[in-house]
Amino acid sequence: MTGMVFAKEDIKHLGWLSRIELTDNELEKFTSQIEEIIGYMNKLDTIPLFEIDEGQIGLEKKFSELRRDFANPFNCDTLNSSNNRKKEGFVKGPRMV
Amino acid sequence: MPSLLHLNAQQVGQGIKNGYFSAQEYISQILERIQKVDDKINAFITVDNDGALRQASLIDKKVRSGEKIGTLAGVAVSIKDNICTQGLKTTCASKLLKEYVPPYDATVVNRLKNSDAIIVGKSNLDEFAMGSTTEFSRYGPTCNPWNINYVVGGSSGGSAASVAALECTVSLGSDTGGSIRCPASFCSVVGLKPTYGRISRFGLISYANSLEQIGPIGKTVFDVRMVMNAIAGIDENDPTTIATAISSAEEEGEGEEQHLQNNDKNKKNIRVGLIKELVEGSEPVISKCIYSAMDIFAKSGCKCEEISIRSVDYALASYYTIAMAEASSNLARFDNIRYGFDFNPDGYEWNTYFAKVRSNFGDEVKRRIIIGSYVLSSGYYGKYYLKAQKVRAMLKHELKSLFKKYDILIAPTMPVLPFTCGEKIKDPLKVYLIDIDTVIANLTGIPAISIPAGFSNGLPMGLQIMADELQEQTLFNTALLFEKIANIMTEYPELC
Amino acid sequence: MLAITAIKIGLEIHCQLTHLQSKLFCPCYSDYRGKTANTNVCPICYGLPGTLPLLNQRAIESAGMISLALGCQIPQNLVFYRKNYFYPDLPKNFQLTQYNAYGITSIGVDGKLYYYGDDIDGGTGNVRSKTARIRRVQIEEDPGRLVYENGNMDTSFYTLIDYNRAGICLVEIVTEPDFTDPKDVRIFLNKITSIIEHLEVCNTNLEGAVRCDVNVSIDSGKRVEIKNIGSFKEVEKAITYEIARQKTMSLHNIEVKSETRHWDDARKVTKQPRTKEEEQDYRYFPEPDIPTVILGNEFVSLIKTKIPELPDARKTRFITYYNLSEHVSQVLIDNKDLADLFESAVEIYSHSPKEIANWIVTDLIGSINDANAKKHELNERRGNKEGGQEEKEEADRSGSLLSELKIGSKHIAELAKLVDQNIINRNTAKSILSRIVNTGEMPSQVIEKTDTTKINDKKVISEAVESIFNSEKSAVKDAKQNPNAANFLLGKVMQLTKGRVDPGITLNLIKAKLDMK
Repeated sequence: MTGMVFAKEDIKHLGWLSRIELTDNELEKFTSQIEEIIGYMNKLDTIPLFEIDEGQIGLEKKFSELRRDFANPFNCDTLNSSNNRKKEGFVKGPRMV
Repeated sequence: MPSLLHLNAQQVGQGIKNGYFSAQEYISQILERIQKVDDKINAFITVDNDGALRQASLIDKKVRSGEKIGTLAGVAVSIKDNICTQGLKTTCASKLLKEYVPPYDATVVNRLKNSDAIIVGKSNLDEFAMGSTTEFSRYGPTCNPWNINYVVGGSSGGSAASVAALECTVSLGSDTGGSIRCPASFCSVVGLKPTYGRISRFGLISYANSLEQIGPIGKTVFDVRMVMNAIAGIDENDPTTIATAISSAEEEGEGEEQHLQNNDKNKKNIRVGLIKELVEGSEPVISKCIYSAMDIFAKSGCKCEEISIRSVDYALASYYTIAMAEASSNLARFDNIRYGFDFNPDGYEWNTYFAKVRSNFGDEVKRRIIIGSYVLSSGYYGKYYLKAQKVRAMLKHELKSLFKKYDILIAPTMPVLPFTCGEKIKDPLKVYLIDIDTVIANLTGIPAISIPAGFSNGLPMGLQIMADELQEQTLFNTALLFEKIANIMTEYPELC
Repeated sequence: MLAITAIKIGLEIHCQLTHLQSKLFCPCYSDYRGKTANTNVCPICYGLPGTLPLLNQRAIESAGMISLALGCQIPQNLVFYRKNYFYPDLPKNFQLTQYNAYGITSIGVDGKLYYYGDDIDGGTGNVRSKTARIRRVQIEEDPGRLVYENGNMDTSFYTLIDYNRAGICLVEIVTEPDFTDPKDVRIFLNKITSIIEHLEVCNTNLEGAVRCDVNVSIDSGKRVEIKNIGSFKEVEKAITYEIARQKTMSLHNIEVKSETRHWDDARKVTKQPRTKEEEQDYRYFPEPDIPTVILGNEFVSLIKTKIPELPDARKTRFITYYNLSEHVSQVLIDNKDLADLFESAVEIYSHSPKEIANWIVTDLIGSINDANAKKHELNERRGNKEGGQEEKEEADRSGSLLSELKIGSKHIAELAKLVDQNIINRNTAKSILSRIVNTGEMPSQVIEKTDTTKINDKKVISEAVESIFNSEKSAVKDAKQNPNAANFLLGKVMQLTKGRVDPGITLNLIKAKLDMK
């Protein structure tokens, strides 16, 4: 079994990739936990994979069953009420730089 | 007025239709019960007293005027708080959606309302449905009504507890890796995970979309089937729904007795397979319970055998790989820009803002998102995600062959009895391991039901029955059979 | 010795399917231009939790048509993938798109398009036929739009986000780096535009409907990607600049870095973007909420029946059936509006298609360009005002090349007929045309109002000539020494008669009269 070693830096980077700010405490705690969990997932390496027609996991749909191209607008007033931060209809977000 | 709390959904519907009591009388008792016991149980995040009473009075009006009422008229339903209810806060038990009020109803909610069911509130869950004990809720854990020092199971803990605590008639939960069946087992109620695609996921806030399904929880198998009939079916808002109706319409009005009679004719042909690996991997008292269950089937004329599933060993690793991968992507949208909670972005650069917002996720959610990002990242996609999907295909293949020889497969729902609160959550992997019995059904999309199978020192055990894709009817038939003969549930916890 | 630079240019074209009624994954209107921010959205494209993508059937059909027209292979099944990254204009923080890997392909792969390059083959003397290989065609969704209050990303304290455009269907066309000359790229883009227009899947005149990113490398060096090129017209300039930049660096032995640069339209240079674009790990995986779409062989048969006449076939038809020249035919099909105008005018007056074609490709185009230049200028002024963004978009919505002009096929047909039947001469016709593009009058109406019919009557012309001979005595005297004086006198007669005299007849009369003296 491949011994996977995770450094705090790895977890920090993954946190960044997922846009989650992690405290030092969390980095400390999570690193060993995550290492253990991924170690468990490495079980997948040990499977003797015999040949399967692997296509059929997901569902299938015929082209003819797809949604027809008709417009059906939504009452956007109800949408916008869930957010108070607006300016002339625009959603106000954080700055870009 | 005597207590109506012990009535099942079928009885509630009949009672109101025949005028034995009014919907308002029933709902008032329910709401009173919630007030009395929920401080102890914490099954609810939101209770909608006004809405429920309003609905009840509308139904009573319909009854008085002789208007046709729905199949679930007056039935009190709790809805897991990751299912959208228009105008009613939907939090996923997270801080990130603390103030989120959906502008639309989930399809299942719509269909319940059309059946005249009454939604009494939103039930507690592990945050974003990630967990098996409801201890990861940001609104406090739910306690097991059978013993409040023990976990209620998860992630639909609030749903199962609210039914067991008689705070509602039935509930809707969601099941990604066992999240309906686990708490159903721990609370000694009936919980069904339908075939993938049976029930619309439109309005279910996604955790792992290729694995999850909404499903009913109730005190009896018949109740669960009633709710299923009301909410199942193709939905144009969910392209993953499949068209087949659950069963012929004739069964809608059919009583339980009649159904069982019809059942009798078929039971001698039922072939039962007991999944060896799962029974052997359980606590001894549970194994014993399942063997007894097999005896009951055998004595009823079913053909019973022990069988083996080779791929069981890898099922859990496959499940968590896929679930966490999908979760990392499904939860990416929570950046608090369009909806969420009160946190002004002024002064922040966007990357920092996003990261700060999302630091409000609980530990378990953070872990899963991080691991999910890892297994999807370049260089690891083949090693984890693709392999996990291959395991899935293998399992499906294996089950297809088994279902040619057997009508149902049985196993424990949980390999352990309910344990004490706080016992396992310090070690995430320990909690994952208890999903071993339930993930198979999610990975392969087959339907699975958990029914009460007995108690050990006052703690509930559940029997799990699985059938081939779209064979819910077989599940119901065999579950009804067992329920009648085993007669496990005679009373519910008082609590006050 | 001159070192020959080996240039490699590849294109990434994004084309909005503007002719769809609804968005790619939800039933919101696909026509979002000019609407108040966040009024053309729904729970799905707004990224509300619990919503699922509803794939648009016609989008697949249209994308399939594009693939086929570009000679691509279409797969049996269609799969959509998630491209995961965070950005404020992305409602779900992932983009639904297609991916080519693990045996799955997008809606089109391995196609090719022939076009005529700008250069002449020394041997044959013919224009060189070139091939551009199409690597893939894929379907994906457009993100929302970020706006800055004072127009400047750097100084804004917050960002304004409009999701009206989020979820609009895009077709991405990626070529192999087969281009070696920016001029060829321009020609190729014209051809792509023409094809897209003829397929009627996109109105390329709408602002932002077609965008093109390029990647450029020289002498097997690193590839530089250039984004933010505002329109197809700017592409050639951007490539030319970048080639020069890389060549200069190479001359000074500076290594060209593999990077993404932005085209600065105002300063006409490529530059590094303000926000550093980090190496992204998109963590692609198949979208679980969209079942695999089974296309099968019927799909290809279906879209074959729907594909209208493509530009190349139409051009051949113009040449063989209407007897137009290759050049004129090319100009017409390069702008579908003009080709359509031509054919409907010919339907009205069929005796002289060449005449009609010439009026369109010479004089009319000039008028269109003038009108567009005026419109552009007006927009620039509008756009620079505070809050002028929406007004500018409103103006750009009209889209058609001819929309600024007030005339149509019946005007052109009548004009050609009048010239053909010798009722007016060419000069008169030209001035009528430049008037009616702004007024919309029929040529016959103008003639009536201004009496500009051609004067063929020799007697009338003689009188005019006589009149000029009397007033321009010195010129008449000069004519004996200076043969060009005749032309001068002709000019004067034209002036006098407001250009109505037939120049040929008039000149002869003048010469004859001079000879007599």
